[in-house]
Amino acid sequence: MTYTVYSMNSSAGVVLAGGRSSRMGAPKAALNWHGSTLLRHVTGVVGRAVDGPVIVVRAPDQVLPELDPAVAVQEDPEEGRGPMQGLAVGLSAAAEHAETAFVCSTDLPFLHTAFVRAVLRGFQPDPASGWANPPDVVLPFVGGFRQPMAAGYRTDLAGRVTKLLEEQRLRPAHLFEECAVRQIDDAGFLADPRLAEVDPGLDAVVNVNTPEEYSAAHGRPAPEITVERYGVLATRGGGRGTVRIRAANLADAARQVGLAFDGHIVAAVNGDQIRGDGKLPLLAGDTVSFFSADAGG
Amino acid sequence: MRTPGGYCGQALVVDVSDGSTTVLPLPEDVLRGYLGGAGLGTWLLTELAPAGVAPLDPAAPLAFVFSPLVGTPLTTSAKFAVVAKSPLTGLLNDALSSSHFAISGKFTGHDAIVVTGRAQAPANLLIDEEGVRLVDAAAQWGMSAAEAEESVREQYGRKWRAASIGPAGERAVRYATISHDGRHAGRGGLGAVLGAKNIKCVAVRGGKRVELADREAVLAAAKDLRNRSFGPATEKYRELGTLSNLLAFNAISTLPTRNFQSATFADAPNLSAEDLAQSRSVARSSCASCSIGCEHIYASKGGTKARVEYENVFALGPMCGVSDPDQVLEASARCDELGLDTISAGGTIAWAMECVDRGLLDVPWLRFGDGAALLRALDEIGARTGVGDMLAEGSRRASEIVGQGSGAFAPHVKGLEMPGYEPRTMQSMALGLAVNARGADHNRSGAYEADLKAGLDRVHGTAEHVRAAIQTEDRAAVMDSLIFCKFLRGVFTEPFEEWALLLSHVTGWDVDGEELRETARRIVMAKRAYNLREGWTASDDWLPERFLDGSLSLGSGRTATLPPERLRMMIDTYYAERGLGRDGRPLVMSTDSRTESRT
Repeated sequence: MTYTVYSMNSSAGVVLAGGRSSRMGAPKAALNWHGSTLLRHVTGVVGRAVDGPVIVVRAPDQVLPELDPAVAVQEDPEEGRGPMQGLAVGLSAAAEHAETAFVCSTDLPFLHTAFVRAVLRGFQPDPASGWANPPDVVLPFVGGFRQPMAAGYRTDLAGRVTKLLEEQRLRPAHLFEECAVRQIDDAGFLADPRLAEVDPGLDAVVNVNTPEEYSAAHGRPAPEITVERYGVLATRGGGRGTVRIRAANLADAARQVGLAFDGHIVAAVNGDQIRGDGKLPLLAGDTVSFFSADAGG
Repeated sequence: MRTPGGYCGQALVVDVSDGSTTVLPLPEDVLRGYLGGAGLGTWLLTELAPAGVAPLDPAAPLAFVFSPLVGTPLTTSAKFAVVAKSPLTGLLNDALSSSHFAISGKFTGHDAIVVTGRAQAPANLLIDEEGVRLVDAAAQWGMSAAEAEESVREQYGRKWRAASIGPAGERAVRYATISHDGRHAGRGGLGAVLGAKNIKCVAVRGGKRVELADREAVLAAAKDLRNRSFGPATEKYRELGTLSNLLAFNAISTLPTRNFQSATFADAPNLSAEDLAQSRSVARSSCASCSIGCEHIYASKGGTKARVEYENVFALGPMCGVSDPDQVLEASARCDELGLDTISAGGTIAWAMECVDRGLLDVPWLRFGDGAALLRALDEIGARTGVGDMLAEGSRRASEIVGQGSGAFAPHVKGLEMPGYEPRTMQSMALGLAVNARGADHNRSGAYEADLKAGLDRVHGTAEHVRAAIQTEDRAAVMDSLIFCKFLRGVFTEPFEEWALLLSHVTGWDVDGEELRETARRIVMAKRAYNLREGWTASDDWLPERFLDGSLSLGSGRTATLPPERLRMMIDTYYAERGLGRDGRPLVMSTDSRTESRT
């Protein structure tokens, strides 16, 4: 007797790691991001926002930096055909587990879970907005530009994307011509109070293509978060109450409040999953709760 | 036949109807197959209890079971199991307690002491190397367990160690405890079983040492284990105790509140160990032979002292909506005085409070958040007066009396009230609660371990959660039979292998980790087999309706639900992985002579 791990109404994440990174001059996936890599950061953000698997699509023989072991890797069969090729592979792999997927590129250092969730909520029927049935694609239209590499797709579009590739129609716009696309603009996103609070500039879609853009992005301060410590972590060393700090990931946050994020401590981010991966990215507005790993009894 | 090291090789069976005794030889294959504690107790109950016997019938046996490690210098090994058919569940129940009773009991020369029958009048049962005596308990009847224990030791001598019931056990409250040295064999109503035998105290005094196969190796291992017990894996228990769970559980929406209507309690900080340790802590203590020292004793502003643990504070605090720490401490102490299981008492009262809220029960004073009402309810339960007479039956039976759909939110599985883990936000635990032989129990399943570590989505149960829950259940089966305290579990990196080595040093057996894994499965199945014999059906492996049709929100905004089909899938997977059919019964009858009689 076997059961699928994920229910079919969940959402997956697809991160496209291929691409030549020609303007950057170095593979974007491996760029340092506060002690981690840009790819691990982005997959971590997506993983926090979806309840299905996260799938990285790489170019043939592309070497990837270390990823969380839970992240699956798929390979493009053919290089140089643009994002539609990765989209076909990613959606096809995700279709085993989920009806929808958030699909993005590697180069979104400010991607936020609130943005990912806002995109995925776009699949919910919304008769008041003219969407009595779920769309095929939820396409952000931010800053006057479509954002196909930070968008939501039904996973059953995989076959249609493959067909477009066979027809040498290699641009996402070709797909959008053939399916129901729900665009969400700036105002639509910022109507979400949580997103408006943590990412008012919708920096989630800011990508980095050049060393200068990367340097500027990396130079921004780490996100401001709240840390809570419980049990002996609170009572030893005067660590009671909450503190606000800037930290890029769990290990960084733990270090700043005097904790070693070893196997004896775990964390919950915003009261959700229990986490033991020190490289898990933290985002503006997060609340991190540290407590003893042996939390039963 | 040579008795293996660590064992006496026999159990003492006392019929308190007339004081007669029988010595039951324990074959080596039984000892090796069931170890001691909960495992050996299951074997004894299966052998000695008449099939279908009512839990409070004089013929129903109640066993105090020791283990091969008792009396060794291994830290946390001074523990014993009390095993009987539960008056709450009608199924197998084992509850563990600790301290000197275990050592003195084993040193009477027995691996277990089994009590059957019913004394003509309230009596104390005294057992030492010289024999068995039934003595009048008129002086102790009506006392709290602690008072009775002290009274017996004053009367007969300080070398005696006593396990006693309180007034609740005398009055057959179905969740009455048996207590020793401030610790309790708390769950499942074993105090009512002893009370039904008219026995107030079982007192033991022993001087028979038990041989160890390799004393030097045991001493070296004990030293090593003791050192490891001072490390970070036990720091939480040493420094604050299990109450340190409370705020953490509140932060991750798994703190049952107001009879599981919520998983967070706004006033949780009032009851936190982090605060109370500073304002109310008066003492710390430990069981005999324990180097962890998890006991944290607090005093209310009125001066009442109580041992605090997460479970009693959860059950008498958030579960009943009570946020005043002094009232919660008073309630906890009152449970100890009366001899009540705090989890079942709190759960049953919380259910009644919700019934009052819904207009199903006309007890206007019994409202959520009212600490004085909580204390009054405990007193009435202990005395079986007023509404307490019904609540003394536990939430399942009480909901059958009240009816009107109140069973849907009665917080129990198989009749045993639920511990402080919200199953919708801990779905490995949801399975553990549903399928466990003892009922809604956290210690025999231990599946919260899987939910509280990284790797599994704790609000979306899958087959992986099932496998994790089986692993924790297997580990618990061995720990509860060796017996080691669960708080030591974090110091073992390869638990089965390490336990096997320790057991080899003690017994002389050539036992390895794989054999202990098999032993774990045997013990788990033996419990299920006993329950099958006593009328268990697959419908007993389930959760209350409340958890299957309601949702909870996490701090992240995510919603936690446990649809019935997901729980069904997890239970079916558990059955398949355990080699059981879809009806929860074994697919293949065991050919193991040690389990034949059960299957």
